[in-house]
Parts: sequence; C-alpha cells; structure tokens
Amino acid sequence: MSGGWNTIESDAGVFTFLLDNLGVEDVQFEELIALDADYLRQLSPVYGVIFLFKYPTGEKANSDGTPKDGQYDYAAAENLFFAAQTIQNACGTQALLSVLLNKDGEINVGSQLRDFKEFTSGFPAEFRGEALSNSELIRDVHNSFAKSSPFVDETQRTATDDDDVYHFIAYTPINGILYELDGLQPAPIAHGASTFEEFPEKVIPVLQRRIERYPANEIRFNLLAMVRDLRVRAREIGDHEMLFREEQKRREWQFENALRRHNFVGFAGEILKGVIAEKLKEGPDAYKLWIEDAKKKTKLRAEEHKKKQGGDEDVEMAA
Amino acid sequence: MSAPPIITFKAGRCDVDQSNRPWKITPDPTPGYIYMYSEDDMTHFCWRERSKPMNDEENLDLIMFPSDAHFEPYEYKTSNQPTSKTNGRIFVLKFSSSSSRHFFWMQSKPQARNGDPSWFSPRDLKIGQIVDTLLQGEAVNVSEEIAQVRGGGNGGNDDEDETMEDVEGHGDSSEHHRGGSGGAGPDATGGDVREEGAGAREGGADGGRAAGSGPTDAATVVQNFLNSLKGGQGIPTQQMQQGGQIFTTLPNLLPSSTTIPIIDSASPAQLNNLLSYLPPSILLISQSSSTSTERMTEPNAASASATIEALSSDEKKAILKRVLRSPQFHQSLGSLTMAIRDGGLPSIADALGVKVQNGGLVRGGSVPLGGGEAVEAFVEGVKKSVEEK
Repeated sequence: MSGGWNTIESDAGVFTFLLDNLGVEDVQFEELIALDADYLRQLSPVYGVIFLFKYPTGEKANSDGTPKDGQYDYAAAENLFFAAQTIQNACGTQALLSVLLNKDGEINVGSQLRDFKEFTSGFPAEFRGEALSNSELIRDVHNSFAKSSPFVDETQRTATDDDDVYHFIAYTPINGILYELDGLQPAPIAHGASTFEEFPEKVIPVLQRRIERYPANEIRFNLLAMVRDLRVRAREIGDHEMLFREEQKRREWQFENALRRHNFVGFAGEILKGVIAEKLKEGPDAYKLWIEDAKKKTKLRAEEHKKKQGGDEDVEMAA
Repeated sequence: MSAPPIITFKAGRCDVDQSNRPWKITPDPTPGYIYMYSEDDMTHFCWRERSKPMNDEENLDLIMFPSDAHFEPYEYKTSNQPTSKTNGRIFVLKFSSSSSRHFFWMQSKPQARNGDPSWFSPRDLKIGQIVDTLLQGEAVNVSEEIAQVRGGGNGGNDDEDETMEDVEGHGDSSEHHRGGSGGAGPDATGGDVREEGAGAREGGADGGRAAGSGPTDAATVVQNFLNSLKGGQGIPTQQMQQGGQIFTTLPNLLPSSTTIPIIDSASPAQLNNLLSYLPPSILLISQSSSTSTERMTEPNAASASATIEALSSDEKKAILKRVLRSPQFHQSLGSLTMAIRDGGLPSIADALGVKVQNGGLVRGGSVPLGGGEAVEAFVEGVKKSVEEK
C-alpha cells in the first residue's frame, strides 16, 4: 500500500517550486484571473493550463458514454502520457505532470522525471496512475508542500461523490491537438486541432464551455497557466523592471512556502504568552475583555454558519 | 484462556454473500457476545454464543496484531439493500493485511427516539470506538469511557430502557502492563493517551528552543497523539460535542490587530526570541537583495543566529509582522485549536512546557479534556506561566 498524500494548495508559488524541487528547469505558474486570450498570450510560451474547480457533487456522465464536450481519444492514450487518477489528494500533482511529461521535448524536465516517464512508457493508464501514487520521490516532494500544519492527518481521507471535492484538469496541445487530460476520465479528450502557437486562443472557449456546465453560483474555480520562467524572457529582451518584479515574486513565493512547511506550535505559544503578558500589564480588566471579545466573535461566526447551512445561500464565485 | 475480558457486549454475527455487489448481509439471530481480552501482550477479538462459556473451543477467537484491524460502523446507505430483520446496527471488522471482513450486529435495545433501528446511539458509537482503540494495541479505561456517554451532557437521548448490563467494562485494561504510579485513581496510567506522546519525546531535545529543531519535537508529540486516535470516523466530532460550551478559538484570540502591537512594543531580546521560532530561511529571503533565488535549504543554527544579529530592529519587526499577518500562520492557529479541542491538550501543553489544570485531563478521570473547555484550560495555563515568570 502506498504511503499517504496530503492536500496541497492550488497556488502558483506552490506549483512552481514543486516542479523546481522535482528538478524541472525554467518553468513557472501564473494565475489567470480572467479568461482572456490576450493576457494568456503575453505569458508565452504557454505549455498548458491547469483548471482547478470545487464542485459540491460529482457530475453524472452522459448515458451514452460520450464526454460532455469533445471526444474520447483512446488511441492517444498510448502515444502520450495519460495517467488514471488513483488518489484524490495527488490529483494536483498529477495534473501538473500530465502537462509536463508531454512536453519533455520543449522543457528540460530533469533526469528523475525523465526516468519516471521512461519507466511508465509501456504501461496502460491505470498502471501509470499507480506508478505515480507509488513514486516516493514525487510523493515526498508533493507532501513537502502540504497545507500548513502537522496536526491534521489527511492521508486517510478518501474522496466520495458527496465530498466537496477539488478536481484538477490539465489542458495542453500535443501533436497538433488540444487535449483535456482528466485522470478520472477513461481517456484523453480531444477538443480539435491546435498548434503550440494557437493554444492561448484555442483553449479559452473550451474553458468557457466547461465553466458554463455548472450553475454560476455554485462553482469555485482557479486557473493556473504553466509557462516558461518569465525571468528568461525578461533577460532576453533586457527588461530590468520585469526581471526585478519576477525576482521579487519568487522571493515572496519562497517566503510563503517556508511558512507552509513550518510547524508553528512553538511560535504560537510565544505569541500567546506575549499577548497575555501585555494584557496583564494593562490591568485585570484588559485580560477579561480580550477573552470576552474573542468569545463574542466565535459565537457570531457560529451563528452565521448555522444560518448558512439552513438556508439555500448562494456561494460566491471565487475570482 | 485465563485472562478476564476487557469489554463484553451483546452482538450477533452476520452472514455475508459476496457473490454480487452490493454484498448481501444477513444477520444470524443467535444471541451472542463480542468480547476482548489480552494475553501475552496480544489482544484477542472474540465472539461466542451467550449459552457457551468463554473458553469453549467453538468460540471465534482472533489474535489481533496492533493496528492491523479496525472495527467500524458499517454504512449501508451506499447500497440499495435496506437491512431487514435486524435492528440494523451493523459493525464491520476489517483488516489491512487481508480483505476478509466480519460483520456483527448490535443486540442491545436500539435507542432511537423515532424508532429507526439503524441509528447508532452515542453509546453504540462509543463501544465501537473502544473496540477499535483496543485493536490498535492501546489501553482503554472502559468504565471511564462508557461513563462519558451515560447521563453526561448528551442531550435527550438518555431514555435507555436497556440497563448497562449489556456492556461490561472489566476495569483498567492495562492493569497487567504498567507498574507505573500504581493505583487506579485519577492519575492512573491506564488509558492515558498522554503517555504515548511523552514516550515519543524521550529521544529529542527539550521542547522548543533551538532554531528549527525544538518545535519539531512538539509536532512529533502531537502527531503521535493524533495517530493514536485514528480509526473511528466519529471520534473528533463526538469529543467536540461533549465539550459543551464553545469558548473561543486561537484565531479569534490572536488576530493581527491584537498581535501586531505586541511586536511594536517588544524589546530586542523578545524580538530575537520570537525570531528563533521561525524557519531561518525566511530571514535570508527577506534580507537578500540578490537575484539568486536558488532552492533554499534551511541554514544551520550558527548561520541563522548570525543572520538574526545582522538584521536591524526594524527589519526584525517587519518580518515578524509579515508572518503574523500570513494566511499560513492563521491556518495553523485554527489547526492547533482543533487539536486541543480533540483531546490533544495534555500533549500540546507538555510540549510547550505549560502546566494546565489536572494535566489537561478531565477532573477525576484519565481522559483528555475536550472541546471549548480544553481551549480555555490551555489559555489559563499559559496565563499562569506568564504570571509565574
């Protein structure tokens, strides 16, 4: 039985350094806040787009076995890297690798991932998925970005249809066709022809149709573009400001990732001590007031939460 | 078999037809008991007909390897087969080492007010949890545990027609193991989850001082504690409900509006102290104006303290404030609160060197405090530490 996979955030900084730690060179992620082909083109070269969405219940498949959009391309599953998803919590990394391992001509994926691709090249999709969930290297790097704390052991959780499940899907052009790679589908889904250059324009309408499948007020989604390291372009065109901005962004990402890995028990204890010491200095009433204020906040939030659960509130769409 | 049983309760076996999915589970009406005992440090899971004695050769007697098996309520909602003929409270015994499964049904009187025969009462769930915990190789003070679901603040479900005779807890399951502090009083080591955590700490440094290494001990302690709880899906929710009042949470006590002013008024020594609890790499990241952003590994303690010294007071404050405002810090306060509410108080207080009332246990018992009371006890404990300085 393979070891556990923790959940990781769908965040450009997390994904960028995840690939970095796997030995991939010159790749980063950028969040797309709007479905704008022009904006996406500015980030060229674009290797693929990862679409993350959170939807309350599983979608029912078409009764005739066709996908809701596009066509299943079973033959393609042999010629490109496509893995069945075996573990819920691994799906983000799996989506990343779906794009990456199909671009190893254009990207230097590093020796470890190249070995992994070769190792699985003869396998059918389910076995590739198994190989991925069993890969200690990939799992360890993935888990090193796991959501903050050591307190919540999420490795035991399995997804059911009723869960509020996050799902990641990758879109990428391979051999002149725009593919949707979803580990929960039986095969890659083809969405028509697309060259590498056309990809930014071609993928936007496909994404739009996907989003429209869900009631607008019920879906939360996130789009991350996998692109070449923007500092490379900045250096190429001699844009120092852009280079500076990108370096700044990288430092922020590193800061956040360091905090994500960090166990805050000790720090939290010291901060609590510091606050209590201050309150006691101010006087006995200050301490009591501080506790009462906090209790009020907690009560208020509990009441709001109860209201939400009872009614049929609209869930706001994340930008 | 000479050892007395640790727990006994009325239960029947079920036959399972695995030829088709969903499996057809048919209860066997024969009245019986599930019981468990420990011999030569091995836990036994057993079933017998009520008419048979305990050492009858025909009894089911399974030797259990710790953490190989789980005993859980069987959720039949996912299949279309309603249970028929039984009272519907089915538990499954399942193994990591094989795919075999044993199904049992509870034969005590069902307690649902609406007559739903498949409803698991808190007592039913507690019995399941006790069995599951014993299967992981851990000690349980059965009478304490059962007492918690009897007449304790569980709302209106106490119209038990059934007397407690159907569940017998035969005292402290760990009597033969721990010499320890002896006696069966409130300080009894039996069923003391806290001990698990303390053991894990022995090898490490004392809690929490050296940059980067101290807090890791605390995390190990807490993680070991949580691992010991693994098994019954219902456990965390149950403990939280038993807490009664909510009190408050660490995120509500420590919003940035409260914590930022502390930084402003902190002395240089206090700033350095706080920084020592943060990952050293962030000091380098904040400081570096170079364009080299190669993969950051954590610097060693010597270069970390050198870096701290090189920072100006303003720079130190800026870093601390940035951390206090970060979503990562706030998420961890939330998780820490949950861990305390779910019975982690003894381990966490211990790891932080904070004394809490009664060692973080329920008064008069050996079970960790839970829910809002635990959070309150934690804050009070920290307050005492501050006052005593």
